Amino acid sequence: MNASRRIAYVIEPRFSGGTSAAVAAELEAIARFGPVTVHAIESGMFHGRAVAPQLEATLSALNIDLIWNAPVIAADLVILHNPSFLKFQDNLNAKIICRDMIVVTHENFLRPGGVEGFDVAACLSRIDRATLALGKYVAPISAANRTTVEGWRRTHPLPFGWQVLPETWFNICAFEMAAPPDRPQDRRGRHSRPGFEKFPAPAVLDLCFPPYAAANTILGADALIAEGVVRPHWTLLPFRGIEVAQYFGMIDIMVYFTAATWRESFGRVLAEALAAGKLALSDPDTAASFDGGVIGVRPDEVDAAIAAHLNDPARFARQVRKGQEAIARQSADAFADMFMGLADRLERRAAA
Amino acid sequence: MILIESGDRSPRGFEAKVLFAAQLDGRGHAVTLDDAWLPEDLDRSLRYDAAPYLRALDAARVTRLIVIGAETLADEVLIRLRQIGLPGDIPATLVGRFETRQAQISARSKLAYVLGREPDLIDLTDAQPHPLAPDLAGPAAGLGATRPATGGEANLFVILPEAALEDPSTLPALMAMEHQPGLRLHLVLPRRARDHLKTLRFTPARLFGMYELSPTTLARLADMAAIFAADMQGDRIAVMATEMMASGGIVVDCTPEGTLAGSAAPILRGPPLLPALSDYLRQTVLPNRPAIAAQVTGAPWTGTQRIETLERLIGLTPPACDTAPRPPRTLFLPTNGNGLGHARRCALIAREMEGAKIGFAAFPSCLPMIRAEGHDCLPLVSKSAAHDTGHANDLVNYMRLRRALQSGDRLVFDGGYVFDSIYRTILEKGLDAAWIRRGLWQAGQITPSALHREGVFRRVIVPEEAFGELNADMTFGSHIHKVGPIVGDRPERPVEATRAALAKGLGRDFSTLVVTMLGGGVAADRTAQMQMLAALMERRPDCLHLILIWPGSVVPPALYGWKNTTVCQTRNAAAIAAAADLVVTAAGYNSFHEVLYHGLPAIFIPQMAGFMDDQDRRAQAAADRGLAVAVGAGEMLRLEREVTAILDDGKGAELRAALAAADLPARGNARAAGLIAAEVWT
Repeated sequence: MNASRRIAYVIEPRFSGGTSAAVAAELEAIARFGPVTVHAIESGMFHGRAVAPQLEATLSALNIDLIWNAPVIAADLVILHNPSFLKFQDNLNAKIICRDMIVVTHENFLRPGGVEGFDVAACLSRIDRATLALGKYVAPISAANRTTVEGWRRTHPLPFGWQVLPETWFNICAFEMAAPPDRPQDRRGRHSRPGFEKFPAPAVLDLCFPPYAAANTILGADALIAEGVVRPHWTLLPFRGIEVAQYFGMIDIMVYFTAATWRESFGRVLAEALAAGKLALSDPDTAASFDGGVIGVRPDEVDAAIAAHLNDPARFARQVRKGQEAIARQSADAFADMFMGLADRLERRAAA
Repeated sequence: MILIESGDRSPRGFEAKVLFAAQLDGRGHAVTLDDAWLPEDLDRSLRYDAAPYLRALDAARVTRLIVIGAETLADEVLIRLRQIGLPGDIPATLVGRFETRQAQISARSKLAYVLGREPDLIDLTDAQPHPLAPDLAGPAAGLGATRPATGGEANLFVILPEAALEDPSTLPALMAMEHQPGLRLHLVLPRRARDHLKTLRFTPARLFGMYELSPTTLARLADMAAIFAADMQGDRIAVMATEMMASGGIVVDCTPEGTLAGSAAPILRGPPLLPALSDYLRQTVLPNRPAIAAQVTGAPWTGTQRIETLERLIGLTPPACDTAPRPPRTLFLPTNGNGLGHARRCALIAREMEGAKIGFAAFPSCLPMIRAEGHDCLPLVSKSAAHDTGHANDLVNYMRLRRALQSGDRLVFDGGYVFDSIYRTILEKGLDAAWIRRGLWQAGQITPSALHREGVFRRVIVPEEAFGELNADMTFGSHIHKVGPIVGDRPERPVEATRAALAKGLGRDFSTLVVTMLGGGVAADRTAQMQMLAALMERRPDCLHLILIWPGSVVPPALYGWKNTTVCQTRNAAAIAAAADLVVTAAGYNSFHEVLYHGLPAIFIPQMAGFMDDQDRRAQAAADRGLAVAVGAGEMLRLEREVTAILDDGKGAELRAALAAADLPARGNARAAGLIAAEVWT
């Protein structure tokens, strides 16, 4: 990479889930190649919330200081992660001057059924108004995410001069890979933030976590606890109630369905489960991001799919490894290759 | 059934959904509110507003969800909606004022996550672009029910803020308006100010608390409203004004800033000072009333605020009303008080209304007597220390009356205090109502507070006392109708036949019959007097002493130990008393007048309590005329002397002779019945 290329990240560092985890992993991958500045925008979305722990740890490890609310951000390449943080405010509250601006679309632009996920046009417009750049781009993070971006574009124009990058700005999955269990048991679980969008209807949860399973552990179950959705055969734990590693020690199978009206743009929790050696099941749309590594099923098919793999530990192991291979393709090196290739291409284009 | 939720769990949000539920209910929609959450310290009146709609929710019966105030969709509301587990295919609609498109998307998304399907969304910023106040919690819509013709005296509602009473010009202005031709003043105040006003020398005849009735009911009663209160009292004033305008009512903005008139609503800008209102109305509004009403009804703003517009946006179709209303009927509602006097009086009047469609609603102690008269009776719930609040029983009664009565019915109330259930039902259903209000209230009981609800009765029927000095006017007006004493007929059965039946039934002969009717001890403990009477009668071997009590009443067990005394539960006390040589009784209205009109020698032992009529005066009036003996509760030796005098010394015969010669006023039973049954009440 061109060491003199100035790269600036513009982020809202208080996203608590996949966005901050993805940014943290990305910074580790990119900072190897040269100086990176990270600008934090204090948006109206997360009043009173702290910087995400994983991001704080990475910034500390990389010795990068967060620059809060800089009035002007200047760099050759500016990468703005997750524009949805601007949805509750009128302006970005900063001027960005750069050669190229890439907006990484962590959130799906559309929800299932084609309903807009957030006020995309308003958020992009706020960025557009604040940015002076030769090129402005939208970068989807997965094929599923790209589908929603393209779907949105069919009825809404991008701001003038913006383009959708052909490259996929995938989540780096730089996980330690654990071996699948030799004798897997029907110990099921799921983990996520506790938002309503992350959970399906109780009836679906009942299908996924039945009384005859050896264990059912739900981490991030704050809403279920508040709702009083209690099952004697469920272990409900609040978000960050235990370490994720400890939670993975309690399960062999990750069963992850969201609200029917929402979809993950990638599904980082599934990637974490695969890396931990767990069999992962989800809805077919979400599973599609993992090249067959996550089993795509309907909720009423969960039991049969689990039984088939528990009855055949070798199949269980093959399936887990298949998932691990899929996420391994999203390594830091692969990301760096994608990034450098893209950065060079944009630089050449600007020079041309 | 439509489930209505509000976006947050605030008292304001709760009130808004109650108001909206009432509006949809008024269009015939079946609506429900989830009773799983009620605001703490919920206003008493709001409990009445909400009661018809609150239910322990059965999710399977919910056919639609409407969330109002959806611009603030709180997690606790979403959690509750998930808990309810609504059927998967019912439509859901968010109604709110959304400042941004993102606010719409956020609200829609949140509900979609919880329900598992996409809700519709109605942005009132577009649908109702000019609200009467910027911060209304719900969609203030108007039913637009047909308003009576705009001629004649106008019902003017003046809505004042609490501080208005501190202005020295307020009361004189109100007093003047109370007598203004062409205007019928109704005053609406916040509760504290209303209560304060009731303690002053001047109380308008028609005084309401802002929360005393639903804004829909207030709007229906009002032809014109002059609003001086800038605070909308939640959404109440806005809903009332909207309801009025939807039906052609005239709203005058008298707020200091004129914010209502500046809202694009067809509201007149009136003087911000109360003393100037009367001239403004008489010179500017009243002469142009029909034209103003037509302008209001046809204004574009009114169109946007009509409930039909909101229905169309939501996709609601009002259910067709395919059942014909039942024929009108007259419902008597006696409060039992501490005896059965009110119920007995109503039953006597009802006897005179042969052929009329009559029903009763009464407390449990009265049911057997009323049913024995051949009437259907809706049971009401009595107050109980076991209830959570002092008005819990009245809430149930309100629900029962609300269901039992319909527009066109008549309600005849006999009692002292007009409960909220009765007051509200009369006004909400637009009933013709009569108040049978016997006189002889104790000094101190006649207060504006006790009588301020008289205004809802089109007729007040006052059964007079037998003696002129006992009758006094408490209120005045053409609606007051005085009738003679309401008294039952003397039993037709001959005395000897009754005595023979008693002898046979009790298995003993007697020559002297003494009847004691001093009640079951609820109003006053008369154990000592009854024991003494039992002891006196025990010395008379040929005496039968009957202590008559109403079935279910309780007397001290020791009374059962006397040989000559028998405690008898009966609904036929009047017939037995008519055969007695001596009746010892309290001086309640009914027993007192039965003694007089049936010519019975009697000793009255008045029962006095703060909430009762003045029995002392009543008993003394008879005694002064030599028609009966009055004995105080503590005069035990005198009681003994009077018993002896009546039974042994000829005083009984003297009393009978005096009673036979007494010039008592004609009974008022038929006249009262005629007033109630009259086809047209003027």
